[in-house]
Amino acid sequence: MSANATCEFQAKDYKSDLKPIWCPGCGDYSVVQGIYRALAAIGRPPHEVAFISGIGCSSRIPGYTTAYGFNTVHGRALPIAQGIKLANPDLMVLAAGGDGDGFSIGGGHIAHLIRRNIDITYLVMDNQIYGLTKGQLSPTSQKGRTTCTSPYGSLENPVNPLLYVLAYGAGFVAQASPTDLAGMAAIIEEAIRFPGFAFVNIQSPCVTYGEEAQQIKGLKAISENLSSLGHNPADRLAAMDLAQHYGEKLHLGVFYRNPEPAPTYDALIRERQAALSKDAPPKERILDLFIKK
Amino acid sequence: MRKDLVFGMAGSGGDGIVSAGDSLLQAASAEGYHGVMTKSFGSQIRGGESSCRVRISTEPVLNPGGNLDVAVALNWEDFLKFGAELPVAGSTVVIYEAATGVPENQIPLVGVTPLQVIAVPIAEMAKSTAGTERAKNTVVLGLIAGWFGIGGEAVMKGISKKLAKKSQELVDANQKAFDAGVVFAKTHPLKADMTVEPSKTKGAVKLLTDGNDMCAAAAIFAGCQFFGGYPITPSTEIMQFFTSHVWKYGGAVLQAEDEIAGIGAAVGASFAGRKAMTATSGPGLSLKSEMMGLASIAELPLVIVDVQRGGPSTGLPTKTEQSDFFAAAFSAHGDVIRPVLAPTSVADIFRITVEAFNIAEYYQTPVIVLSDQEIASRKETLDPIDTSQFKIVNRLLPTGSDLQDYKRFKQTENHISPISHPGMLGGTYLASGIEHVESGAPTNSGSVHARMNDKRIRKFDPLKERKDLFEITGNPDAPLALIAWGSVAGVCREALQMAREQGLDVKLMVPYLLYPVAEQTYRDFFASVQKGLVVEQSHLAQTFKVLRMHLDLPKGLQSLARSGANPFLPGEIVAALHHLLSELQRSHEGKLQPQE
Repeated sequence: MSANATCEFQAKDYKSDLKPIWCPGCGDYSVVQGIYRALAAIGRPPHEVAFISGIGCSSRIPGYTTAYGFNTVHGRALPIAQGIKLANPDLMVLAAGGDGDGFSIGGGHIAHLIRRNIDITYLVMDNQIYGLTKGQLSPTSQKGRTTCTSPYGSLENPVNPLLYVLAYGAGFVAQASPTDLAGMAAIIEEAIRFPGFAFVNIQSPCVTYGEEAQQIKGLKAISENLSSLGHNPADRLAAMDLAQHYGEKLHLGVFYRNPEPAPTYDALIRERQAALSKDAPPKERILDLFIKK
Repeated sequence: MRKDLVFGMAGSGGDGIVSAGDSLLQAASAEGYHGVMTKSFGSQIRGGESSCRVRISTEPVLNPGGNLDVAVALNWEDFLKFGAELPVAGSTVVIYEAATGVPENQIPLVGVTPLQVIAVPIAEMAKSTAGTERAKNTVVLGLIAGWFGIGGEAVMKGISKKLAKKSQELVDANQKAFDAGVVFAKTHPLKADMTVEPSKTKGAVKLLTDGNDMCAAAAIFAGCQFFGGYPITPSTEIMQFFTSHVWKYGGAVLQAEDEIAGIGAAVGASFAGRKAMTATSGPGLSLKSEMMGLASIAELPLVIVDVQRGGPSTGLPTKTEQSDFFAAAFSAHGDVIRPVLAPTSVADIFRITVEAFNIAEYYQTPVIVLSDQEIASRKETLDPIDTSQFKIVNRLLPTGSDLQDYKRFKQTENHISPISHPGMLGGTYLASGIEHVESGAPTNSGSVHARMNDKRIRKFDPLKERKDLFEITGNPDAPLALIAWGSVAGVCREALQMAREQGLDVKLMVPYLLYPVAEQTYRDFFASVQKGLVVEQSHLAQTFKVLRMHLDLPKGLQSLARSGANPFLPGEIVAALHHLLSELQRSHEGKLQPQE
């Protein structure tokens, strides 16, 4: 398996024959286009890519690619993705899902993936609503929002996904949106190329249950490009400062990129395997460990 | 002279009674004896009561034994906490700490007159020889060597080896404490000769280990290259073994953030093409059930070891029980068959774990190994295992022609479809928890769901025909029968021997495959059975109920079931068999009398 494939791939080579179940106009159509483009730019053959998701509208996404896909159970894309990467570090491993999948039912996993720094790219399609179950409150829904499960308005504060992952020390944190498809594809590409855990929060509107202000037009109105703001992505504290505006502003681009990426967990275990396998007895003799003389 | 001795010793956590048991077993094994040791603790992290039971024999040992031949109490309060785990009988020699101040004729054991009771000033002897009461356990080992003739030189050799790293002074002090024990024993001879016969296999190579380590070693031997798990008593040592050794074989281990992530990572590793495993105990099994369902529908090989403890919930974390059968066979929703295997000893957990990987890989399914706290933590001496006699099965990979038009879940004659993995050109597919057509594409179709359920269930038909996953001993045509699995099987094996020696016509079935229920194998076994017992440590009698659900049981088959942490004794099972026989005889006599 070669890390750098010689043959060239085009975006369409990553598109499968399955027809998406998404509603017409769903932001996720743009996200999957962005992923095709990013993968084509990088050029890893589809069979060397493992694309893992949980449950939700956006978690259908691996099936729309020609990669090895695994549409798992709700909230558990990340543990499964980690097992894949540790079992075969040669693979390119992507994980994706919605805000409920990543920050509610699966919210406990992301912190641990970050502190392990396994080379996985995690794309969250954040739409502030549970779409597949038809419109309930999500962990990123604004306080006061009325939904099927908050008919008198939500009493909870939302999770801030950007601050969350920055606080745990993720090496790459960015935000993208279908409001800028080319920019999104470039950010996804950069995230995949980053050597270590990378997180991209993608504001992807829900056309059926989303609020007016969170549709493309509304998002465009509050979006600002981080590079045009002069933000230095090597500055983690500045990134955290900007991330506090999650929900009121839509900052697009790279919040933080560790200028000196730490060795990844998957690389470290390879070193350990190499060091310890040298003098190991064959596994057929493993019971010799129990001989008492 | 004796062929077999069962020691039960108890004290406070700091007394080192378990490490004395370890030393005794190691020494006996070095001398060529067979042996088993089990430990039992209170739930305190340090301190609290602790005990061990060591059985030494010139013959292979089937279980940790019934009533104690020798009871050692460093204090009575702790000893009594173990109740039925350390049963004293009329044949028991009781040795206890004289400093307890309890007169020999007033020891606090109700309703039993031991063979002999001896108060020994153990603490005082430790202090006067080694200068510290911490050498009490060495004094005990000296007493055992003196009275029962086991572990003499070998014990001190082992202790010296352990302590030599610390200081020579410590070695000398322990030698003095040990010698004092021996001298005390020689000057206070027992009423009966209880020395053990010399071992028949002195100098032979023996293995000495516990069930958890053996299980992990078997997994690595079977080719397991990934372990994902979370610490939980009494299974944690399996993960610990992996953290020490799996790297050497190109594998990896992940101590995950929780039980779900632990099995999730293992599911991922299996999807990536590696043999993978997780291990847990009751509460963790509950948490893992959704992932087990995922592995079943995605048809991914996976081995899950459940080291049972008392339940429900936290239950009895340090004591054994057999109450996870329902959870192992039936947890996770949907119509699904998930094979459940059960080892009965440290010796056979090797074979059963290898078998679990073979079944998981062949049938592309999660498999549960239902171990239990007793097997997991008990140490056994074993004859070396010839690993070359074990066949290793790997999953069916697609051939070049399969990959021309690859369908991951293709319907085949035996319902098993070639399985690709990431990195394999031409094999890309979507694995999913959602129902899928042959290619892997999601579907909502009821008819496809019915067909796929049929595939996933019928693929196990040949597994139910595996006679080698059942052990049947005794007279095959016997009217009396025993059925037992797991650590209880060892007790029943001994009960079978005793019962047959007493002239009872009885047979024993030990199922290593608990689920799916191999109906025909049971029917064949039941053909001669008029009376029998399903013996298990489950208050609900889960095994008996699962059998009744699948089979028409012989009318005389009864359940002998109780909660865990109350070990069965071979003698009580034999007594129950005698009772069944007399019932049988009465009913036969009844038949001879004319009605009305």
